[in-house]
Amino acid sequence: MSHDDLDRELRAHLEFEAEEQRERGLSPEDAAFAARRALGNRTRITEDVRALSPWATVDDFAQDLRYGARMLRKHPAFAVIAALTLALGVGATTAIFSIVDAVLLRPLPYADVDRLAMVWENVNLPAYKNARNTPSPGNFRDWRDRNSTFVDLAAIRGGNWSLTGHGEPIRVEGENVSASLFRLLQVEPLLGRVFTTEEERAGGGHVVLLGHALWADRFASNPAIVGQTIHLNDEPYTVVGVLPRGFHFPDPTDRVYLPLGLTPQQLANHGSHFLRVLGRLKPGVTLAQAQGDLDAVARQLTKELPQSNTGVGVTIVGLPEQVVGDVRVPLLIMLGVVAFLLLMVCANIGNLLLARASAREREFAVRAALGASRVRLLRQMLAESVLLSAISGVAGLALAYLGVEALRALAPSTLPRIDDIKVNGVVAAFDVAVALAAGILCGLVPAMQARRSDFRDALKDDARASSAGGRMRARNVLIVAETALGVVVLVGAGLLLRTFVHLTQLPVGFQSDRLLTFRVALPPGRYATEPQRTAFYAALSERLQATAGVTSASAISFLPLSLRGRTTAVSAEGDVPELPGQARFVDFRSVAPGYFRTMSIPIRAGRDVAWSDTPASRPAVVVSETLARTFWPNQDPLGKWIKLGRPQDKVPMLTVVGVVGDVRQLDLVRTPRPAAYFPAAQDHGTGDTLADWVVRTLDEPMSLAAQARAAVWAIDATLPITRMQTMERLRSAVTATQQFNLLLVGIFAVLALVLAAIGLYGVTSYSVDQRTRELGIRVALGAQRREVLRLVLSQGARLAVAGLAAGTVAALALTRFMATLLFGVGARDPLTFAAVGLLLLVVSLVASCIPAHRATRVDPVIALRST
Amino acid sequence: MPTMNRDRTELLQGTLDMLILRTLLLGAAHGHEIAKHIQRTTDDVLKPEHGSLYPALHRLERKGLVVSKWDAHREHNRECKYYRLTPAGRKQLTASQSKWKRLQEAIARVMSAAARADV
Repeated sequence: MSHDDLDRELRAHLEFEAEEQRERGLSPEDAAFAARRALGNRTRITEDVRALSPWATVDDFAQDLRYGARMLRKHPAFAVIAALTLALGVGATTAIFSIVDAVLLRPLPYADVDRLAMVWENVNLPAYKNARNTPSPGNFRDWRDRNSTFVDLAAIRGGNWSLTGHGEPIRVEGENVSASLFRLLQVEPLLGRVFTTEEERAGGGHVVLLGHALWADRFASNPAIVGQTIHLNDEPYTVVGVLPRGFHFPDPTDRVYLPLGLTPQQLANHGSHFLRVLGRLKPGVTLAQAQGDLDAVARQLTKELPQSNTGVGVTIVGLPEQVVGDVRVPLLIMLGVVAFLLLMVCANIGNLLLARASAREREFAVRAALGASRVRLLRQMLAESVLLSAISGVAGLALAYLGVEALRALAPSTLPRIDDIKVNGVVAAFDVAVALAAGILCGLVPAMQARRSDFRDALKDDARASSAGGRMRARNVLIVAETALGVVVLVGAGLLLRTFVHLTQLPVGFQSDRLLTFRVALPPGRYATEPQRTAFYAALSERLQATAGVTSASAISFLPLSLRGRTTAVSAEGDVPELPGQARFVDFRSVAPGYFRTMSIPIRAGRDVAWSDTPASRPAVVVSETLARTFWPNQDPLGKWIKLGRPQDKVPMLTVVGVVGDVRQLDLVRTPRPAAYFPAAQDHGTGDTLADWVVRTLDEPMSLAAQARAAVWAIDATLPITRMQTMERLRSAVTATQQFNLLLVGIFAVLALVLAAIGLYGVTSYSVDQRTRELGIRVALGAQRREVLRLVLSQGARLAVAGLAAGTVAALALTRFMATLLFGVGARDPLTFAAVGLLLLVVSLVASCIPAHRATRVDPVIALRST
Repeated sequence: MPTMNRDRTELLQGTLDMLILRTLLLGAAHGHEIAKHIQRTTDDVLKPEHGSLYPALHRLERKGLVVSKWDAHREHNRECKYYRLTPAGRKQLTASQSKWKRLQEAIARVMSAAARADV
């Protein structure tokens, strides 16, 4: 169907019609005109006929895109600004989505992962509550043997070993595991085999499975390693296999796997809780059914073993929930925040497009008059923004790629699956979809506005008023919405900032500056006896304290804020024989003399532990203020005793020789619990060694790292030294998650503020342009500069206040979702809300100052002359 | 742009196609002839907007209900595009005619019932 064909046809029609009109007596000119009128809009007819062709859509689309490209080229400043801001919004959204995709959306790399679950003790005692307590070997064994809903259960126990030979001594982390673990996870070794059931038993054999990374780094991926012997903690282990690349369970840092090796005695113990338990559900069994099954087993156990199992239930957590449950809400919040930012970007670009649309109103009216259909005009307006989306989609993907690199570097190590975060096909598709949606959203604003306005008005000379008013309203609505979104983001950031400040200002109970810490784990082989270990502690303390620049040095079994520790049930002088489940729990630490002085923990009464506290002398203990206060209120704690175990148990009484200040032990957020410190030489069978060393220095702590290493190796050159860092760094690491949250939301908040300011600036200056004539009249009638200034400023302020009000309401409704991310500050913290309001008002005032200032310089003569 | 009287009878959607097909039943015709024929036979009650006629004709041709051919005009010394009904077009016309008839009867029944209710 050629155009010429239709053209010829229509020409013939016009001639017939004109001829008919002439026969009725019209002049040739009038007849021709009447014929054209009767036919109607020829362009429209041509368009309608052309639209019948199947190629028309593609053709039009290409034409629209060419038109859009021409428009963008004609306004390069607008194109660059719009594309850049949109790319920033799309890129940020895509980067955050890549984390969500890796952590939450992609299934865990284990076969049939929906049937895997972690099984915990649900401990609910007056003095101790923990829904995910590490199970005791006895409970693990009984759950495994008595349940009817699991294929099997496997136990895991974390550990670390000194790997010697094959180069410098290193510390490797790994797990002692049930032989069934690999079968449950359905993982096949890359080389060799997994453990046998015989090897799982205590003394079943010194065998080890290597993780892929360790095999590659340490053994140069040598396949002949299988069957060879390596030395862990000075003992020989035969390598039976190598696990496939990427496999780790449960921790990403696990590099070796050893058999569980629990003795029958240990497997009968229900009182000592240190395992992690994984189960695979039988086909068709739900988590709820398994929960019911094990609940029944737990009730039986409570009945059979009231002493150890009162208040001990079971919690079953699906593996995906276990791995990502804690980060789901924070990640979704991040995605929400960045989506808000993207909406603000859209509002800003929509505003720019609206301003452009007013400039092009005449053009569109002419197009409509010449026969362009409204749909076609709409498409043309959208073409430009779709083109913008395409550009920003590509640029956004590049930004997201950089962003993902940065995020992976910055993310706290507690974020699961960090290594899985990458820009893949799904993420790229998301990027394209978001870019397109954002572009269309931006473009829809002026398009909707144009739909409402009447083109005929636009053709008239002085027709600005009617549609300009509507457009101004649209811009105001946009700016109010944008400000409101900004308020929500800013309030979120403010709350996280308050949380972070609160956390860093918490009194930890010791002085963290100018403290160097490092870890030396003594291999049990060569340091089997107490005198051997004590000799090492004394020698290293002495050497370190003799180092220039060191004021004091000491060691402890578990450093504060290291997220590690031991909690033990004790009884105290004056306790009556306890009922089941009534035990008191204390944080239990072994220390070397000088620990309190080195950490600057105040000694409130009595004395420090001393080298003279030996297995031969009277058992001594130093207790925290909280322990003294809660165990013996209003009494002198010195000389009182506590016991590891129940009052009636035949175990040594430990005499309190000193009282020290409280310390935050595991992390920052838990308030100090009762704590007891034992002399290292009197370890009471816990097996804890003094692994964490603390050195108080005169200058920058890390400057003494080399000397500290030398001191250790001067005593024993085979000892691996790990975690050499300052206490400040360790303390900061505890808040890594909060820092990460704050950093991300903080960046978004700054962007949000800038966007809000730009938006407000844009809308105010546009309104000044629109009102030039009015302002000119006011000035001509004698209005003072100050009044003009106030007029314009008050308009900006009104918009800002409206946005602030809407945003505050929205934030009040939304911030409760981030309650789990907050600490020490309420989700509706009035100070944060007030500060955000003030900040936004100031910024909006500044943003409208520039156009307001311009308004005061309106020359009435020029203003009135121009239309 | 509107060129017609406001009170002229609007053509129902789809009806124009049927009228064109009916007109072509009498023999091949070009666009202007079709327009005039519809106008004349309805005593000027139906004046199809000439502009809308051509997209309709092209649509019918695309559907295979009519075919077109450029031919010399009988009286004027001029080439015209003549449209002719195809067998498919004939079948379509019968179908739409009977559908139209049913619709007409149904409407008539409703209207006369309403008239009785008025009395």
